[in-house]
Amino acid sequence: MTRDLIHRWFAPVAIAILLLVPLTTNSYIQFIINQVIVYVIIAIGLNLLLGYAGQFAFAHAAMMGIGAYTAALLMHRLGVTFWIAVPAGGFAAAAIGSLGALPAMRMKRVYLALMTLAIAELIQWVLVHWKVVTLGTDGVKIPHEKFLWFTLASDYHKFYLILAAMAVLYVVARRLVESKFGRSLVAIRENEIVAQCNGISIAHTKAAVFAVSAFYAGIGGALFALVLGHIVPDGFGLFQLVVHFSIVVIGGLISMFGSVIGAVLLTTLPELLRGVRALQELIYGVLLMVFIIFMPGGIAGFAKQRGWLPDEILVRGWRALQARLKREGGS
Amino acid sequence: MEIPLLLTASGLANGALYALVALGLVLVYKTQDVVQFGHGEVLMIGAFIGYSLLNYLGLPYPAAMLAAVLACGIMGFVLERIAFRPIAYHHHITLAMVTVGLSFALKGIARIPFGADIYTFPRLFPDTPTIVWGKLIVTPQHLVTIGVALALTIGLFVFFRSTTMGKQMRATQQNLTGASIIGINTGLIFSGTWALACAIGAVAGVLAAPDALLYPDMGARFLLKGFAAAVLGGFESVPGAIVGGLLIGLIDNFAGFYIDTAFQEISAYCIIILVLFVWPYGLFGRRPTHRV
Repeated sequence: MTRDLIHRWFAPVAIAILLLVPLTTNSYIQFIINQVIVYVIIAIGLNLLLGYAGQFAFAHAAMMGIGAYTAALLMHRLGVTFWIAVPAGGFAAAAIGSLGALPAMRMKRVYLALMTLAIAELIQWVLVHWKVVTLGTDGVKIPHEKFLWFTLASDYHKFYLILAAMAVLYVVARRLVESKFGRSLVAIRENEIVAQCNGISIAHTKAAVFAVSAFYAGIGGALFALVLGHIVPDGFGLFQLVVHFSIVVIGGLISMFGSVIGAVLLTTLPELLRGVRALQELIYGVLLMVFIIFMPGGIAGFAKQRGWLPDEILVRGWRALQARLKREGGS
Repeated sequence: MEIPLLLTASGLANGALYALVALGLVLVYKTQDVVQFGHGEVLMIGAFIGYSLLNYLGLPYPAAMLAAVLACGIMGFVLERIAFRPIAYHHHITLAMVTVGLSFALKGIARIPFGADIYTFPRLFPDTPTIVWGKLIVTPQHLVTIGVALALTIGLFVFFRSTTMGKQMRATQQNLTGASIIGINTGLIFSGTWALACAIGAVAGVLAAPDALLYPDMGARFLLKGFAAAVLGGFESVPGAIVGGLLIGLIDNFAGFYIDTAFQEISAYCIIILVLFVWPYGLFGRRPTHRV
């Protein structure tokens, strides 16, 4: 009973505490916290694709790049307000992401990974070399926009924007995985043939999950651009992807809360090793290996085993059903 | 007539390198179902070991290269044993993810002592000028590359056809359960295959380094070319990897000359995307059958 209570009140209380965070931070810490929240959004998107649907795709960092560049270029070149530019980044990534799903429909195993790796590298190459549009390696600066009292120059103001986006996207993702769609994803991950026999359209479901995951990456990328204020193509390469993989795997695959833990841990970690690229690579790489080999469920999986975290339930009402069965079985 | 001839010669030399990279990828994939995303870094580590032995220990060139290849072979053997054997029967995504981690760990390890600098790797015959054969002009380095790749290919052919270990490897690739039932030590075969693949990767590394320069990020380019070669060859076929590699080298050179030099940078991505869309099982691959 208390566990249910904690489970129910956890999110509202957490958000209330988060709302008060800017009162206690300086600008630098606020900047890092903003990054953490952006990475939560991105990790949730990757978790849907990699954890729930079991699609091993390499394009998440590139989708983040598409979102970031769409938003940044709209704002920088056309003076579009971020209220439009950020969602536009998400939708642009979703459109390209669902195109990337085309190969996934007929390809299995190794080929999907290779295909998406090639697409991701190609996108990065375009970002670097299509200088007329993307400004090449100079990168794009985000203008400091004002909207009533709200200004993009302040890390504190940005925090509330990003937090609101994260809260909405988190809830949407929770709902998605608990819906029929979420169960179809798991069915496809476990066995495509069985899923097909149960009337799940593999093509539609895969296209949808690629699009949703890319949308999260795109929104995350656009907000990432707002947080940093200046983006370069190099920021969306393979290293970025390994950061995403590490967050999702170390936090825990198939757990929304795991993505949050992973983002908090792995975004603050490089701040401690600031500037030392070699150490960052070494630590991310080794952590990724160690966790997959020895703790494949990640931190969230470990916590679930110990009973510190509730098992995530893919079927809504499952708990009530269990309770009823228990009562009826007992009587 | 001269230009196509020259393009063919250097294309074959580059292609031989890509074929060696693809060979390492295909061997590991066939045996353990692992896509080795860290193979480019194995190549880089091999080249750096060779460079260090040559420059800091002053070993003679062939000895240094041989030692680098051996060291990478041992590294592959040990890596398989500690990192991949415990999860050998897990989902292929899990295994591939470990290789992604491996790739970055190796890059970090190389970057700690060598930093962000770019090193020039000495050639085997630094003083010999280009060899002119009628209308054909070849650099000695290219000739060495083609020669070594050819010798290695023949050696591997003999190894897989006529030695017990080679036959056991093929048996394990074809049917893991069957192989272990008839008493093949499949664990040893796994480690042996990794050792072989990493050693071949190191050979490619020390051959590529004089022309490609030496830096911790050098592996990515070769990995993608190797993937392109392997995909073209069907990803499950050793002859396919070799033919695919040579074809990629030739396509690169000809398209780079006649279409645009930028094509050489993106050819690997384009070929992977094109082949997978149009002809997903490559030149030598077979369409898999689904069993319910």
